Amino acid sequence: MEIDLSKISLRPFKLEDADDFFLFAGDDQFTMNLRWKTLTSKQEALDHIKDVCIPHPWRRSICIDDRSIGFVSIFPFSGEEDKFKANFGIGVAVKYWGQGIATRAAKMAVSQFFVDFPEVVRLEAYVDVENLGSQRVVEKAGFQKEGVLRKYAYVKGKLRDLVLYSFLSTDFQAEAEGCLP
Amino acid sequence: MEDTSVVQLHQNKPEDECPNLSLRPLDVSDIDAFMVWATDEKVARFCTWEPYTNKEDGLSFIKNTVLPHPWLRAICVDDRPIGAISVTSNSGNDKCRGELGYVLASKYWGRGIATKAVGMVAETIFDEWPHLERLEALVDVENLGSQRVLEKAGFQREGVLRKYVVLKGRSRDRVMFSLLSTDHRPT
Repeated sequence: MEIDLSKISLRPFKLEDADDFFLFAGDDQFTMNLRWKTLTSKQEALDHIKDVCIPHPWRRSICIDDRSIGFVSIFPFSGEEDKFKANFGIGVAVKYWGQGIATRAAKMAVSQFFVDFPEVVRLEAYVDVENLGSQRVVEKAGFQKEGVLRKYAYVKGKLRDLVLYSFLSTDFQAEAEGCLP
Repeated sequence: MEDTSVVQLHQNKPEDECPNLSLRPLDVSDIDAFMVWATDEKVARFCTWEPYTNKEDGLSFIKNTVLPHPWLRAICVDDRPIGAISVTSNSGNDKCRGELGYVLASKYWGRGIATKAVGMVAETIFDEWPHLERLEALVDVENLGSQRVLEKAGFQREGVLRKYVVLKGRSRDRVMFSLLSTDHRPT
């Protein structure tokens, strides 16, 4: 099923997205590399939207024709010392993998985020070493690979090596001015 | 006939200049020794703090940060503190990780003391904290001396993290180093 990437849009989550949310977030493959537990009911989806997505500082639904097929989250760190940094996360419904949708959504999210949060200088994405798909997404979206952090953290009870990527607000400005490909 | 060139059979290694190195807790009674490095702008250069200007601030730091710290030791020569070394702890999904930091009075730089102190910590911290898998350290890109300390102590350089911290109003790049409990550690 070829998707016209110009139909991809980002918008805040609504309670009405619960059914669509359950469709993608109820899949173990979708949540495999996330800290979330796979959702087991539409009620859990509704609760997740109400308690996590809507109050979130910057989470957007990735939509095709305004129907939710994934999320992109950017979470600024708290505290005076760290508020110039933020953490990037993304997930797209498994049935839509491999079509460039996550990459398109990531690019759109980064552009919008640096406008909404001008004090953030550094966006970070931590990707499991074995998650090659997500590594390609962030690389094509313009993140720079900084290194592999060995045994960095537990995700779902397993100690992981994580690849650290960054996207700086200065990278974004350079790209916008046409200095970078 | 005697050879006119003198051959030193026992070449003094820099490490031998300060053989009596030990680690012990740092206390308020160490305030004068603490002030020696804490007031030194060379020491503070890549640290988050400005050089201390008075003893009260030094005592506050010892009471509020040093004493409750999960793991902090004075680096001592002949039981006199000449610096400090510490490891932070984390909880939950991050408990596998601790961050190493150290300071040394500038008069003692260049003699392998920091390298030796880091080695001493690496020898014991994984046994004291069995949940620790990874000891990491973030060093300023311009702090070549400290990068050498970690390399000599067996840490692996993992990459440069761009604009990782804001230090004294400026963004700084940091180099990430790590030592795993499973890595071979030089003795």
